[in-house]
Amino acid sequence: MKDIISLFFAYARTGLKTRFQYKLDSVISTFAVFFREAAGIIAMYLALLKFDTINNWNIDELLFLFSLIFITYGIFIVFFMALRDFSDWIKHGDFDRVMLRPRGLLTQLVLCGADWLAAFGHGTLGIILFIISANRVGIQWNFGMAVYYIVVVISGVLIQGAVFLFFSAISFYVVETNSLKEIFYWNMRKFAVYPLSIYNKFIQSILIFVVPFAFVNYFPAQFFLRKADMAAYPEWMMYISPIVGIVLYILAYAFWRFSLRYYKSTGN
Amino acid sequence: MSTYLQFAVIKFRNKMAYRFDYLLGILNTLLSFVVYWSIYKALYGGASEVDGVTFSMVTTNFIISLGLSSAFYKNEMFLQDKIKQGTIANELLKPVNFKLRMLFEDVGEGAFNVAFNFLPTVVIAAFFANLSAPSSVLNVLLCLVSVVLGYIVLWQISFIVQSWSFWLFNVWGLITIKNVFVNILAGAYIPMWFMPDWLRNVIRFTPFASIYFTPVQLYLGELQGWDILINFARQLLWIVILYVIGEFCWRRGIKKLVVQGG
Repeated sequence: MKDIISLFFAYARTGLKTRFQYKLDSVISTFAVFFREAAGIIAMYLALLKFDTINNWNIDELLFLFSLIFITYGIFIVFFMALRDFSDWIKHGDFDRVMLRPRGLLTQLVLCGADWLAAFGHGTLGIILFIISANRVGIQWNFGMAVYYIVVVISGVLIQGAVFLFFSAISFYVVETNSLKEIFYWNMRKFAVYPLSIYNKFIQSILIFVVPFAFVNYFPAQFFLRKADMAAYPEWMMYISPIVGIVLYILAYAFWRFSLRYYKSTGN
Repeated sequence: MSTYLQFAVIKFRNKMAYRFDYLLGILNTLLSFVVYWSIYKALYGGASEVDGVTFSMVTTNFIISLGLSSAFYKNEMFLQDKIKQGTIANELLKPVNFKLRMLFEDVGEGAFNVAFNFLPTVVIAAFFANLSAPSSVLNVLLCLVSVVLGYIVLWQISFIVQSWSFWLFNVWGLITIKNVFVNILAGAYIPMWFMPDWLRNVIRFTPFASIYFTPVQLYLGELQGWDILINFARQLLWIVILYVIGEFCWRRGIKKLVVQGG
């Protein structure tokens, strides 16, 4: 365990050094990511100046909802960047290199690379949104609430990690998975940012059962906020994010282990 | 002129080679539309109009803005890549105007996006969303003219930011920031009607309103008589101003350019 932690820091140090070699450029780029992600929120803020609420969610409650998706992505991308870009690893034969090293395959992949730019951009945005909204949405913060918030953040990271682990496993069969990711992750994430209840039943079902983004932000936020639109869903859904995260991750991991047997190097 | 058209045609054909990409393109555009549509459907909450703006006007605004943003294609890393790789030296030796060549390649790709990405999206969207018909044939023609002018405005803003790659290590960040301003202030993320008054007054003095919103207003027939001319004049004025700035940056950049090795 100690070994793994020191490995993570060693990777992080080199990663940060490479990324922040050009200081001004990295500062501008990080800010650009932050600003790009904030654009949708700014638009929503401006729209709510006119409309006040969306499905009875006011702007503070929305910011709280948004905070979960950005914080989880900021953490997720520190650990799962290699899985996000895994088809490139296979295409360029980099995965062979990983296989030769004396550590677990997935351990190496999870520790080795972080998209620090995205991590800082999304992470800072998420934290700012949380700080702005946390005390304005009527949550009675106590120890239990704080612990549950941390638990749902971890669950959100696991859910998204599981989705990418699943795609990485598919890369063993078909090398090119970027389009799949585009459809099932990035496009679904566009939807997931806003309250689930504004969509039609079909899109809602996808976000609950297929790519369960609803358990990354909507249902956990409902646990804290108890908005009226929760009536459309079974109440227990507010509580099961941790279970969804763990179960999904285990399933994805099992599929990954299974698929690993079919790995053939693309050669070079 | 036909030389430059060839650049557009080649780009168009290149794009045709990737079949699966355009299915994906349609899906991306359609889903973005569904997100906006769902948000405004919830915001309207069944009301037929807000401040005199009907839901179908909002829907039409989004479909036009999305269509235009796929039509208004620009390869924004083009200049930086040429400078980084040093191939800009060869480009400058060719007997074609570099800017025009760049513009026409983008036009070719934009035309492809309209044909294989935007039009299918409109057809699919028309099944579930209530889109407004144009107010008259004349309005469609006026709208198309303003679309061309709007594109030139937007393209030149992009060119100006790109031309800073003569001085900067990487312009990706600045381009991304520029795009945020364009998307919000030009009305791609929020219809101009719903912006706070103070912001609309600021936007009136920027080039952003003439990119997406002027075409939308012309299509819906919101502008009449003199207002139409004033809006065209505003677009033309911005084209001239931006051209002068762009040309200034470009010439200074070319003078400063040092290509290392080859």
